[in-house]
Amino acid sequence: MKLPLRRVEGKELELNLSLLLFITILVVATAAWIVNPRFMRIGNLINILQQISVLGIVACGVGMLLISGQIDISVGNQVSLMGIVMALIIERGGRIPPDAANAWMIQWSIPFAVIVTFVLGAVLGTVTGLVVIKSRAHSFIVTLALGSVYRGLALLISRGGSFTLHGRFTLLGRTRIMGFLPVSIIFLAFVVLLTTVLLKYTRYGRFLYSIGGNRKAAYVSGIKTTAVTMRGFITVGLLNALAALILISRVGTALAGTADAYSLDALAAVVVGGVAITGGKGTALSLFLGVLLIGIVGNALVVMNVNPHLRGILIGLIIIGSVTFSGLSEHKSRT
Amino acid sequence: MGTDTVLRAESIVKNYPGVQALKSVDFDLLRGEVHALVGQNGAGKTTLVEIIAGSVPLDSGTIYVEGVKCDFLDPARSIELGIQTVHQENQLVEDITVAENILLYDLPRTSYRLFSLRSCIRAADQLLQQLGIDVKPGARVSSLTFVEKKLISIAKAFSRQAKILILDEPTASLDSNGKQALFSLIRRYSALGLSTIYISHHLNEIFEISDSVTVFKDGVRVSTRRTAETDVNTVIPEMIGRSSQSLYVRDKTARQTLAERSLLEVVDFHREGTVDHVSFSIRAGEIFGIAGLVGAGRTELAQLIFGVDQRESGSLLLDGKEITPRTPFDAVDKGIGFLTEDRKDSGLVLIQPVYENITLVRLVKEIKARIRSFLNPTRERSAAETVVKQLDIKTPTVLQKVINLSGGNQQKVVLGKWLFAGSQIIIFDEPTVGVDVGSKSEIYRLIESLANDGKFIIIISSDNPELVAVCDRIGVMRTGRLCAELEGNQITEENIVNHSLGLASAGKEEST
Repeated sequence: MKLPLRRVEGKELELNLSLLLFITILVVATAAWIVNPRFMRIGNLINILQQISVLGIVACGVGMLLISGQIDISVGNQVSLMGIVMALIIERGGRIPPDAANAWMIQWSIPFAVIVTFVLGAVLGTVTGLVVIKSRAHSFIVTLALGSVYRGLALLISRGGSFTLHGRFTLLGRTRIMGFLPVSIIFLAFVVLLTTVLLKYTRYGRFLYSIGGNRKAAYVSGIKTTAVTMRGFITVGLLNALAALILISRVGTALAGTADAYSLDALAAVVVGGVAITGGKGTALSLFLGVLLIGIVGNALVVMNVNPHLRGILIGLIIIGSVTFSGLSEHKSRT
Repeated sequence: MGTDTVLRAESIVKNYPGVQALKSVDFDLLRGEVHALVGQNGAGKTTLVEIIAGSVPLDSGTIYVEGVKCDFLDPARSIELGIQTVHQENQLVEDITVAENILLYDLPRTSYRLFSLRSCIRAADQLLQQLGIDVKPGARVSSLTFVEKKLISIAKAFSRQAKILILDEPTASLDSNGKQALFSLIRRYSALGLSTIYISHHLNEIFEISDSVTVFKDGVRVSTRRTAETDVNTVIPEMIGRSSQSLYVRDKTARQTLAERSLLEVVDFHREGTVDHVSFSIRAGEIFGIAGLVGAGRTELAQLIFGVDQRESGSLLLDGKEITPRTPFDAVDKGIGFLTEDRKDSGLVLIQPVYENITLVRLVKEIKARIRSFLNPTRERSAAETVVKQLDIKTPTVLQKVINLSGGNQQKVVLGKWLFAGSQIIIFDEPTVGVDVGSKSEIYRLIESLANDGKFIIIISSDNPELVAVCDRIGVMRTGRLCAELEGNQITEENIVNHSLGLASAGKEEST
């Protein structure tokens, strides 16, 4: 029989993408290390993880959604919008005179901002999902349009200016446990773990793969495809809320376009991480490696004192390389 | 009528995986004649015209066009040789004028090599007048009626110096006036020396318009006759043939106890335009077949029953209790299974492993049963292995991706997923399409054992011998209606064909 061979081949190839990403990460790291030994310092490595935490969290949502065959390129705009709203609340809270009768509002402005951000995340996810489902248009176009709407809202609210936290709410972005491990890394680890469990060990995860693999077959098998899609978009919104909290907490100010670049960066990371643009394929591990690779490239360039504007070119090449590899292995496993 | 041959096909052979579509077929087309091809679904007539049109390569054989041997045919070459196909579906560009559509591949230009709509319309007008088609060449195609579009499609074929016109089911969705308009066009251009290959299921049309009839059966040309020298009673037995020895013979005796078993009633399913108030009922353990031509509304009926499409009316009763599903989710919950006609399109997630496909419906069912939403892949795999063994699915492991399995084994995976979910009512739509002969009889045996276990089985099939071999009762559908129910010794291929074509003479009365 020829079949067992194929199976072995298939498994090898699947492993290979993760392996390939891992090797590439090692190569980039080694190169950076040779040029500048400071790269391998534990402090810098932690720096890298902290830098990718926002991208990683956003990418996990986008990745799960893309596995189900839907794309969301409004994520960056969502994060920006939520960042603005959250920073607005905290800034206003900070301006209340401490002696006033409503002094409690100072204390409560931060928890209030956090809650509002998550609620807003759920709302944005719901809106995106609803428009995608009801319009029956491709989610790429719908989220392109909604991204523009969210950006406009962020600009309207901020009137083109910025909001500052004035040193408040540093817990998520700047605090380090025992002065060493940033809180944001813990959140990243938690989200990656959650994604792994969801994708691998829950019914919901299986449904995501099935819908992405063959939406019609999934529907005829009884899966409520629209409900699952809806949940996918809401998950993205909630993870974006978390990302917004971490990002603004780290940066300390919010501008209307602060996080817009995450829209395409997250998609790039997810695609590098082996999630097929047509859906149905990809794992949490390779997804994370994709994020890591993109994060390391940026950092390595800085550490190596190379023109950091090379980053865009390199990331473009990495995407092409990864997608070509996936395409080739796909072709191989089918013939 | 001239006697010279425009097209000659000699010993054409075409194999598809698992079937020989054409087994050394000879075919001659004379100048100016309308030559009808008839035969049951899968008899080989479509394959033959696809080869002539160059859209499908032949395995062996030779084609001569006007006496010249054609070694290689692709669509472009075939059009160059004057062979034009008018497909069943509308293939005109809706948003431009009739004239532009007709002359699309050879648009007239001005001396500056610019496009000139005026000269385009003038040229088209001339052609339309010549063919006697009363349509304004300046009109937009989107404003035309269905019949007009059909006529324009033919005129378009004509504009390219066509010598041979292939019409595939040209009268589909035409009313009788439309048909007459079409026929008068065909007669007109036949008089100009154009030859036509005319494929249709509607024998009465064929006897009205054609000069010769060729009958196909199982990839073999059974006969070619002048239409005037033959009739329906000669053609139909030839289409059916001496009952092809079926590989599978089912013992249909010993079904006396059926009357006490549970009863499933399909009551008054209706959706405008596709399914016309269909009702029937089955006992547990019975195999009910649904026969009919492609387009008779059989798949649409199954989709209504399963809740895939919205129905205007219809209910499903199990022992008098209503179990009509609203959505596929609901259908799964109520123990209904549906093996769709295209397993790659809507039956399987091809890039997923066998075990994930097998457990999918069961997972859906567990939602209602409030079983925790965590998976246990080890248990899933061992359960899937049991199913694989039970159905004898040939796969090295349950981790194999379904895409790498053969057609028959893929079909068994689809069946496995419904059985694993505990479906009691199973609808099979074309269960053995693209399945090799060996797996076919295995699938029949599985279906039979399911019936013996007391499940309700509905089989939709265009393979009439299959229905005759497997079913206890057969409903025949035509134009959305269930026009006949056959049982016992009424179950013959001939009866099925007669009823599907609307030629039923003996037995049930009906008007058309």
